Amino acid sequence: MALISTLLALRRDPRILKLPPYLSALCILVGVVWLLVLPLNEYSRNTYVSENALLPGQVHTYFTGSEHNIFRAYRHEVAALVDTSVQERTQRLGDIFRSSNLKVATQKYEYHASGRNISNQNVYAILHGPRADATEAIVLIGAWRNMADEVNHSGVALVLTLARYFKRWSLWSKDIIFLVSGDSTSGPQAWVDAYHDSYSPASIEPLSIKSGALQGAVAIDYPAGPWGHRYDKLHVVYDGVNGQLPNLDLFNTAVSIASGQMGIGCTLQRMWKHDDSYQERLQTMLRGMISQGLGHASGPHSSFIPYHVDAITLQTVGNGWHDEMSLGRTVESLFRSLNNLLEHLHQSFFFYLLMQANRFVSIGTYLPSAMLIAVNFTITSIALWVQSGRGVSTPNPASATPKASPDSKTSKPDSMTAAEKSGAIALIPTTSLAITERKLFLPLAFILASHFLGLLPLYIFNNTSEPYLGLAFNTITAVTTSLPVLTALLLSKFLCPTEQETTLIQCFSLLLLGMYLSALATLNFSLSFLVGIFASPLTFVRSLAPQTPPTTQSPQIPPSFVSKNRKSLSATMVILLVLLNPLVVIRAATLYWGATIVEVLVQAAEGWHVWGLWTQVVVWLVWWPAWFAGSVVVAGGLFA
Amino acid sequence: MAFDQQKVLLFGVAAAVRLLLFTAFPSLPNLLTGRVEISTPVTSFKRLQEGVFLYTHNVSPYDGGVFHQAPLLLPLFSLLPNPAFHPFATNLLYTVVDLLGANALMQIAESWQSAAPRLFKSSRKDLRWSSIAIGAGFLFNPFTITTCIARPTSALTNLFILISMAKASQGAGATFVLALSFASYLAMHPILLFPPLLLLCYDARATKTKSTPPLLTFAVVHVLALAAALGGLLYLSALLMGSWEFLAATYGVRLLLPDLTPNVGLWWYFFTEMFDSFREFFLGVFWLHVVSYVPGLTIRLRKQPLFVATTLTGIFAVFTPYPSIADGTLYLSLVPLFRHLFPLMRYTFLASSTILYASFIGPAFYYLWIYAGSGNANFFYAITLVWSLGLSVIVGDSLYAALRDELDVERPELRGKEVKRI
Repeated sequence: MALISTLLALRRDPRILKLPPYLSALCILVGVVWLLVLPLNEYSRNTYVSENALLPGQVHTYFTGSEHNIFRAYRHEVAALVDTSVQERTQRLGDIFRSSNLKVATQKYEYHASGRNISNQNVYAILHGPRADATEAIVLIGAWRNMADEVNHSGVALVLTLARYFKRWSLWSKDIIFLVSGDSTSGPQAWVDAYHDSYSPASIEPLSIKSGALQGAVAIDYPAGPWGHRYDKLHVVYDGVNGQLPNLDLFNTAVSIASGQMGIGCTLQRMWKHDDSYQERLQTMLRGMISQGLGHASGPHSSFIPYHVDAITLQTVGNGWHDEMSLGRTVESLFRSLNNLLEHLHQSFFFYLLMQANRFVSIGTYLPSAMLIAVNFTITSIALWVQSGRGVSTPNPASATPKASPDSKTSKPDSMTAAEKSGAIALIPTTSLAITERKLFLPLAFILASHFLGLLPLYIFNNTSEPYLGLAFNTITAVTTSLPVLTALLLSKFLCPTEQETTLIQCFSLLLLGMYLSALATLNFSLSFLVGIFASPLTFVRSLAPQTPPTTQSPQIPPSFVSKNRKSLSATMVILLVLLNPLVVIRAATLYWGATIVEVLVQAAEGWHVWGLWTQVVVWLVWWPAWFAGSVVVAGGLFA
Repeated sequence: MAFDQQKVLLFGVAAAVRLLLFTAFPSLPNLLTGRVEISTPVTSFKRLQEGVFLYTHNVSPYDGGVFHQAPLLLPLFSLLPNPAFHPFATNLLYTVVDLLGANALMQIAESWQSAAPRLFKSSRKDLRWSSIAIGAGFLFNPFTITTCIARPTSALTNLFILISMAKASQGAGATFVLALSFASYLAMHPILLFPPLLLLCYDARATKTKSTPPLLTFAVVHVLALAAALGGLLYLSALLMGSWEFLAATYGVRLLLPDLTPNVGLWWYFFTEMFDSFREFFLGVFWLHVVSYVPGLTIRLRKQPLFVATTLTGIFAVFTPYPSIADGTLYLSLVPLFRHLFPLMRYTFLASSTILYASFIGPAFYYLWIYAGSGNANFFYAITLVWSLGLSVIVGDSLYAALRDELDVERPELRGKEVKRI
């Protein structure tokens, strides 16, 4: 009982309102530190294969000897097709599949994005498993061109060789589909969309032959030319569109077969050199997070993951002594493992961060860090809500420093209310007892309008053709940078928002941001974390409106530092926020990674129209409105 | 006339928004129809179409075990052109349903029964929103718009509930009974609104005319009228279907919960986990729980019958077997009638943030469970708990405010003092 009354008394304490900024800062700090300790041995775990049926590396592989000659022959066949037309290439690849007694079909696709025309043709063949009833299938993909736009000579040749080789085995209990897609991103997307009957007939052809439910997909990226190239390591790429990941068991199986059975080292996230130090683990994890956060397709496998088909790409890197046959044997062993599956991969994790080929953290361990960042916005918004209901701010009656003049003693009877509770009398500032009605219309309308405003750049960037994208980006950067100041000027000229309304604008904007980010954290942890970090200063900026004119009771309060330098502080905050404009951040990021902005925008538009990419929705309808509302609130201090 | 112009403008804009959404995003209605948050097994538009298809092909619509809605909906919807090819008529019907609902809601607001019923004058009764604002709150509530686009039959139920409330607060006994019997015929549980609405109707009648019959006679007459209306509707259905088997397929399903498709309520998860031998017992307990609110609230808040009816809609949105956001939106649109209670409510921010968070995280978790395959049923159930928590916080908080409001009138000297529950 005593505790409850203490707590109730605390509720009225104005010091409570001073707490939230520190609490928010603590949340952000803990969130970031949480992420930084993850690579330590105490917080991450060694990977392990959960699904017993997979039995990775338990089979003897027979892809050797004479198959090598066939592979070399196919590699020359493929090399001869490089300069031919798409039609002729498809025809020839289909003939090769047909010569191995497989059913073959082709699929044309044609997409339009940023004024470009993405059109090509997929060719695929289906091997009916001798022990299968055509209800399940696994896919082997060799894209004609890889992500770096090189012709995937050896990759396609290996798919052709394996098709011929697999056909001779009687042990397959699932169908195997061999897919040679026209390119690495839109081709597989067109194919997998058509496979699941969710496509627009205007842009892609339906598939004429199909098999059962897809259980897994493996893509080979081996661009060595007709004379071959010995590689050093396998680079396992696993990020799907929108940051979805394949089941960790698939990744683990691939790593354990490649490194355990075949002796090929595995690497991930372009960490060519990894000696398992803290720094390199952290770097791998951060690269993984950025890749996941951007949500773009990272290989031919990416399009499969949204359909709940676990998929990875095996990419050869470096100069070493492993040849195409060891890659072939790896794929063979991997397919034998997948062939063993009794049900869809479900045992292991779908949410994880990898920091080395055999070290990971699972969602339970890392999710709190993004959630803490999201919670910091909610805390501040609750504090702002309470503050907006408190009306005029009062000097802290409990503060030891008698800032207020001696006069305040005499004024006490007016400004204090006596509260009696079980015989004890407490003096409470009347202002903190008064209930202030909140005017909600302007803040709600403003927040709604700023979200709708975000639709405009979203539309423009997705529907501008390539030559104008750079111009569009620069124009929109200039417009959005000046817009908050202009809006604040117009608001103060025409609507004169009160201090309470400004507080409420920020309150609602942060509330929505916190809500979006906590929902997003469950879908795409990395994106939520990155946006949260870049938006975190919005928690701490405030509108520095002039204090309400000092009442007659306390005229002698000396103006504080803040109220003396109100304008210059506001200007500093506005400039700081300009640097955090999502567009400025994107520009800075492209400069840092040496990409051109047009390239990024073209990719994003292709993602929007073809892969179903959602990242730009988050940028324009979550991040940008929050930044805009925060900037307008701060810029209001310049004109109040 | 200025007032009417406002109303025309409001209705015009609301209709335009709905028709624009229907036409600009032709795939949106089908997408929303498939969402479990909006369409339950007993209200889904998809299942209704299945029923209509079977009905027009002279097969009993209840044979497949898919269709669980009232039989009289079938001739109505079979008159409309097939929504797969000519959706405009259906879209227009649902838009009109929403507008009529808003109209009824505005009539309730204009009747003043919320703040100043016959037996009780709230001390804050001047604090109220105009009926236009309340109508706009209903028509532009995103939940209402989503419900309208998804076209579940609960939109019709909501309309009839609102009409019966409006007619009851105007004291029009016949139309009130008729509207309520339609609502109960469609969804069964609205019949529980009868006691408070009967009192509301009686109070309204008593305010209007000086000579009123005694309450008992009034009640008996209206109970008989309701029974006659419901009996008539059921008999008509039996005539239409040729047998009484529709009773088990419609009300039987609502009572016994054989279809455990997830929804935003609390029942489905319990009954998937339940041992079969306890099923009947817990069905009884769960229903008893819902029903028990009716006499308690009606007696305790005898002076404010409209508030009781409103609170009951909130309780239905949480505790009935197949609730959807359509039930939530009905309650949330009725709450603004009690603007005078808002200063006394303590958790509005908490409750509205909870509902806001739940309505965003809910679909995300459902996606993780069903589509991404990386979550499971517990994710979604946890969020439906949060959604129900948000609604029940509003229910509890507004109940507290209503009681406090009564206390302020009875004991003016306690105004503004802390109260303690004993």
